Amino acid sequence: MSLVFQSLVLGVLMGGLYALLAAGLTLYFGVMRVVMIAHSAFLVLAAYLAWTFTVHTGLDPMLSLLVTVPLFFVLGVAVQRLLVARLRPATLTMMSVLLTFAVALVVEGMLGFVFSGTHRRIPLSYSGARLELFGASVALVKLIAFGLAVVTLVGLHVLLKVTRFGQALRATMQHREAARLLGVDTDRVAGFGFGLGLATAAVGGTALALDSTIYPSLHWHWIGPLMAIIVVGGLGSVAGAAVAALLLGVGQNLLQIPLGTTWAQTFFYAALFLTLILRPQGFFGGRLAQRF
Amino acid sequence: MRSGSETFVKAAGLVALAGLVVAFPSLASDPFVLSVGVVIISYAVLATAWNFVGGFTGYISLGHAAYSGLGGYATGLLILRADVNPWVALLLGGLVVAVFAVPVGIAALRVRGASFVIVSIALVLVLLLVFQSWESVTGGSDGLRVPRPFDADVLRPEQHQRFFHLHAVLLAVMLLCWWVIDRSRFGMGLKAIREDEDKARSLGVPTVRYKLAAFVVSAFFTALGGGLYALWFGFLDPIFQFSILVGSNMVLMSLLGGVRSLFGPLVGAVVVGYATEFFKAQYGDTQMHLVAMGVLLAVVVLFLPDGIIPAVRGLFVRLRPGQASIREVTQEELAEEVRR
Repeated sequence: MSLVFQSLVLGVLMGGLYALLAAGLTLYFGVMRVVMIAHSAFLVLAAYLAWTFTVHTGLDPMLSLLVTVPLFFVLGVAVQRLLVARLRPATLTMMSVLLTFAVALVVEGMLGFVFSGTHRRIPLSYSGARLELFGASVALVKLIAFGLAVVTLVGLHVLLKVTRFGQALRATMQHREAARLLGVDTDRVAGFGFGLGLATAAVGGTALALDSTIYPSLHWHWIGPLMAIIVVGGLGSVAGAAVAALLLGVGQNLLQIPLGTTWAQTFFYAALFLTLILRPQGFFGGRLAQRF
Repeated sequence: MRSGSETFVKAAGLVALAGLVVAFPSLASDPFVLSVGVVIISYAVLATAWNFVGGFTGYISLGHAAYSGLGGYATGLLILRADVNPWVALLLGGLVVAVFAVPVGIAALRVRGASFVIVSIALVLVLLLVFQSWESVTGGSDGLRVPRPFDADVLRPEQHQRFFHLHAVLLAVMLLCWWVIDRSRFGMGLKAIREDEDKARSLGVPTVRYKLAAFVVSAFFTALGGGLYALWFGFLDPIFQFSILVGSNMVLMSLLGGVRSLFGPLVGAVVVGYATEFFKAQYGDTQMHLVAMGVLLAVVVLFLPDGIIPAVRGLFVRLRPGQASIREVTQEELAEEVRR
């Protein structure tokens, strides 16, 4: 019983991290109808930057966020402006997949070139620390990663709901033409939306690096689960992705008890195929997904 | 409207191409060059097989490595576990994969665009997990040794020669099929789906059946390509068989050459295959070949979305007086053809 409870707690923590990682994907899809395959490659890039920062300065990897978050925001705007915006509207969705796939290959190749294929891990003084949480034993780094995810997602939520930029972004996501008629500079907003998405990747990658070994081709392991989350959640819906991330994270962790880690991973794909057969528009999402 | 001289030029080109393919193994004295030739023609087989879905329907599958990998494993396992004759196993493997592709196609083709691409990626990733974990059957991460189909006295270079010609035969069969479909009512329906699926359906094209048929044909040929490669290479490893890189290579090659042309994927395979081998030979130890492939893909998507063949043809047409359109079939023509 305690094993199940332990898995449940770990599942919730992991689901929170998944929600953070998938939030960026829903932003890109919302503002540009773009499936950003390179998102997980940028996660790994952020993880490597955090590793480099800690190894060279000896400071806590979370301080690297002060550099990586603004850097990734600018990178995101650049990717949208210089690459994605150049695609023909008629074939945007399909071609954007290939384009961002190309970006992912370039990022992975450069990481391999600069850092070599060696597996790396951030040296942390508190990496072994564990906390008792309602009777479950949880590694401190997992709690920190979850905390980062919660702070970022709440911040994102407030930004989208309260600020003027958030309103413009949501308007652009809902109906681009109508937003433009109301005076929203949708191209600029789309660029910022991309930047925001990539900024979440900076946080997510750092959170990831606290608790796992990193190597250049790691991003392939994340593409599948993240894609499954946004399809199950309904493409383009931040809230839907968060719910789906929690459910899938918990489900995966519970299935690990009888099946083991590798087979438990197939749960994401089972959920993905089941969603497509039963409800192609996703279980928690809006109307966006229907045509894509 | 096609002039006699144009037909003659085309026929001559085809004969020259066939002659070149037949003669290549004797021209390439070096066994290494010959093995690169086999790799490239194997790429051409896979890209052409991919183009049955990508080119006709416009559905971009990044996960066709699923079918080539399954074809390879099906062939190998049938030989090893069921003691089937290798060539029968190759064909049987293709059929098994085609049957497997039916439910997958039904699920995947329910969604369009981005979701379809996601599903195709997910399929490869899940198969990679399964083939790595299911060690008792597939050999897991240790890989699977596929026995040679020829006797031991057939030496390596001669093997390369034979496999080069076997691939060439498969390629010729596929090109013929593509050409026939391209001119059929079925092909017209598929191209109508590519241009506007909703309009095509409203005009009475049975879109679901057509898409599924193209999907299964493509999976069948891809599996044959994968099986033939497995027989030649003799060793299967899940990491390399179920790799998104293999699938994206097929897309890159087809797009680069031109998905709307019969020989587009072949041209793309020669360019990309040669470039890949070159980069691996030059920068094999680093990951720079990934960067090179990424940059090439980005350039093709941004600047050459129709491919080399249409771009070159467009250049010729523009130089000739009295021609305006470079599009092979317009939407109106397609709609007209489907209505008839």
